[in-house]
Amino acid sequence: MRNQLNMRYFFLVLLSVFLVTSSFAQKVKKEKVRLKAQYVKIMDGEVYFDIKAAAKVNRQNVDVTDIDLTIYNEFNDEKVKLGKATTNKKGEAKFALKSLAELTPDSTNTYNVIISFKGNDTFKKASKTINFKNADINAKLVTIDSVNYITATLVNKATDSAIVNQLLKVQVQRLFKPLRIGKEFNMTDEDGTIIAEVKEGIPGLDGNLAIEVVLNDSELFGTVKAIVNAPVGTPIVDESTFDQRTMWSPRNKTPLFLLIFPNILIFGIWGLIIYLITNLIKIKKS
Amino acid sequence: MKNYDKLLNDLAPTKFGKLGVIWTSSLIVIIIIGIIAYIDQLIKGQVVTNMRDYALWGIYISNFVFFVATSFVGSVVVAILRLTKNSWRTPLVRIAEIITFAAIAMAGITIMIDMARPDRLLNLFIYARLQSPITWDVIIIPTFLAISFLLLYFPLLPDLAILKSHFKEKQPTLSKWYGILSLNWTGSAAQKAIQSKSIHIIVLMILPVGLILQTIDAWLFSTTYRIGWDSTNFAPYFISGAFVAGVGALITVIYVVRRAKKLEDYITDFHFDKMGKLLVLACLVYLYFNINEYLIPLFTAKKGEMTHLDTLFSGHYAPLFWFVTIGGLIVPIIVLLSKKGRKPFPMFIIGLIVVVASWWKRYVIVTPTLLHPFLPIQGVPESWHHYFPSLHEWLITSATLAMALLIITVLVRFVPVIPIERTADEQEELKSNKNIES
Repeated sequence: MRNQLNMRYFFLVLLSVFLVTSSFAQKVKKEKVRLKAQYVKIMDGEVYFDIKAAAKVNRQNVDVTDIDLTIYNEFNDEKVKLGKATTNKKGEAKFALKSLAELTPDSTNTYNVIISFKGNDTFKKASKTINFKNADINAKLVTIDSVNYITATLVNKATDSAIVNQLLKVQVQRLFKPLRIGKEFNMTDEDGTIIAEVKEGIPGLDGNLAIEVVLNDSELFGTVKAIVNAPVGTPIVDESTFDQRTMWSPRNKTPLFLLIFPNILIFGIWGLIIYLITNLIKIKKS
Repeated sequence: MKNYDKLLNDLAPTKFGKLGVIWTSSLIVIIIIGIIAYIDQLIKGQVVTNMRDYALWGIYISNFVFFVATSFVGSVVVAILRLTKNSWRTPLVRIAEIITFAAIAMAGITIMIDMARPDRLLNLFIYARLQSPITWDVIIIPTFLAISFLLLYFPLLPDLAILKSHFKEKQPTLSKWYGILSLNWTGSAAQKAIQSKSIHIIVLMILPVGLILQTIDAWLFSTTYRIGWDSTNFAPYFISGAFVAGVGALITVIYVVRRAKKLEDYITDFHFDKMGKLLVLACLVYLYFNINEYLIPLFTAKKGEMTHLDTLFSGHYAPLFWFVTIGGLIVPIIVLLSKKGRKPFPMFIIGLIVVVASWWKRYVIVTPTLLHPFLPIQGVPESWHHYFPSLHEWLITSATLAMALLIITVLVRFVPVIPIERTADEQEELKSNKNIES
């Protein structure tokens, strides 16, 4: 009897140990998500946040894909939800606003935006806060002594004062990478202004150049970009043969001589072959 | 009514002897093994071949070019000799027509074997771009096949009718087939007029179409801008090469058929002498274009060309290159220039060497160029730097060659290899001329 009782206890303990270890085994270690965010403002254009989610898994950096992120605006102890974004295959998401007026700054005229991830089976919850002030870049094209320049002034909108000693990049939009022009370092002067020469001979479609003046990833103001359309480039002569009938075109743009002569040959020869076959029929019938 | 008895006795198809059966069975076995290898290639893909990123054309394409070249014999022997009214051609033309048909049929099949996805063959027509030499090739091969068939069939009609009567009592079923194929040929004036006119049209057609076929075959290479192929000389180089391959094949087959069917009275030393002279002419023309093809790049000595030529002259491909040049061109010229060299047996040996050299010549044209791209071969497995056909490629290629020989064998078995009616006409003409003279 006593032995039977002992056996029952033994099995009960064994079962408990098994269940406890199984429940521990099922708990997978969650990874930490690292969120990065950048505020970007295009003058007279959109305002958006570039977000990147990554994690270190097995000592390797991996992009965290397909996670939902919630974006909040925080001001004066208030937290207003702005919307949601989902990361793509590169772990990136873009959250756009119609304008900065959608956000409310705090008492110091600083905008506080929180990007929050509530966590899932694989990753722990995470959040990232970014703070920035509103700045404008007012850029224009000027011509002095027949030489073209881009001038730009960087202004703090909250105080309506010039922002001095900040690095602004001046560059022409290109397909793969922007083309830097002007001096290597364009620092704003006491008026918050820079000036950069636009040299002759830069090619552009119909001679139009899209010149960007960029305050890049500033700690205080984020990224601010002004785009000036300047008709001062050298027009690109379109040498494309896309619409022409060439030897390298698709079949619907075959050169006419290649349509005419080979087809005359093909139909001529096959016409004769058919005639010869009819002759065989004539021989059979005659 | 002419008396065909003697001719029928000599030329009417007869059953194979023991050797013929062994020969045919061997060909069938090679073909079956090749078909099994091809099915395996279809299942596993072209990974079973040794063709890779660089050597993307291998033995299949060189074999294809060989078949296309050999098919030129129809244009050379039948058309040219007929148009130039060389009456000695009569006992040779049927065999030339048979070789032409077999070679071009197998060229078409070989190019399909090279396709990794033969089920997409129709796309070559549906999505054809006339700018592409591949499209021209796809069009010209069926065209030449149709003309080759007609070139063989039209002159056969009277002989098929004769054979129908000949086998009427001995072999009624065979006679029935000859009857169907002879298209009710009675030899009436109307039928003869249509036949004669048709043959004349075919002969006029096969010459330019044959030239176009060889030219397109050359352009498949020369339009690719590759070292060793990028040459304005390439089309005449291919035409003259085809001239050599075709005549070489004809001499070889003629010798075998002559011995097997005991046709020494019909295909005489005189015919071999004539064919020998034709082969010398072909070899001399081809040698001229070979000199053009290799001497000018050697003289201008561009770096890429020199690498290519070094491989041919003294490198990896040197044994093959010198075999095809000396064995396939220079030796035939030297031997065949002497009268003794133009006797049947030496001619057969030379013909055989020419055919083998012609096959390897295409290999030497296709492969080394592919292994000399403009940018150095790097970042690929070591085996991709070289090419030698895999077992699958050898088995399948052997099967295509066996298939061509089987087509020739079957036609030689069932069709008179020397035109009966035409020979009778010529003999009658000769007799009447003698009577007039006496």
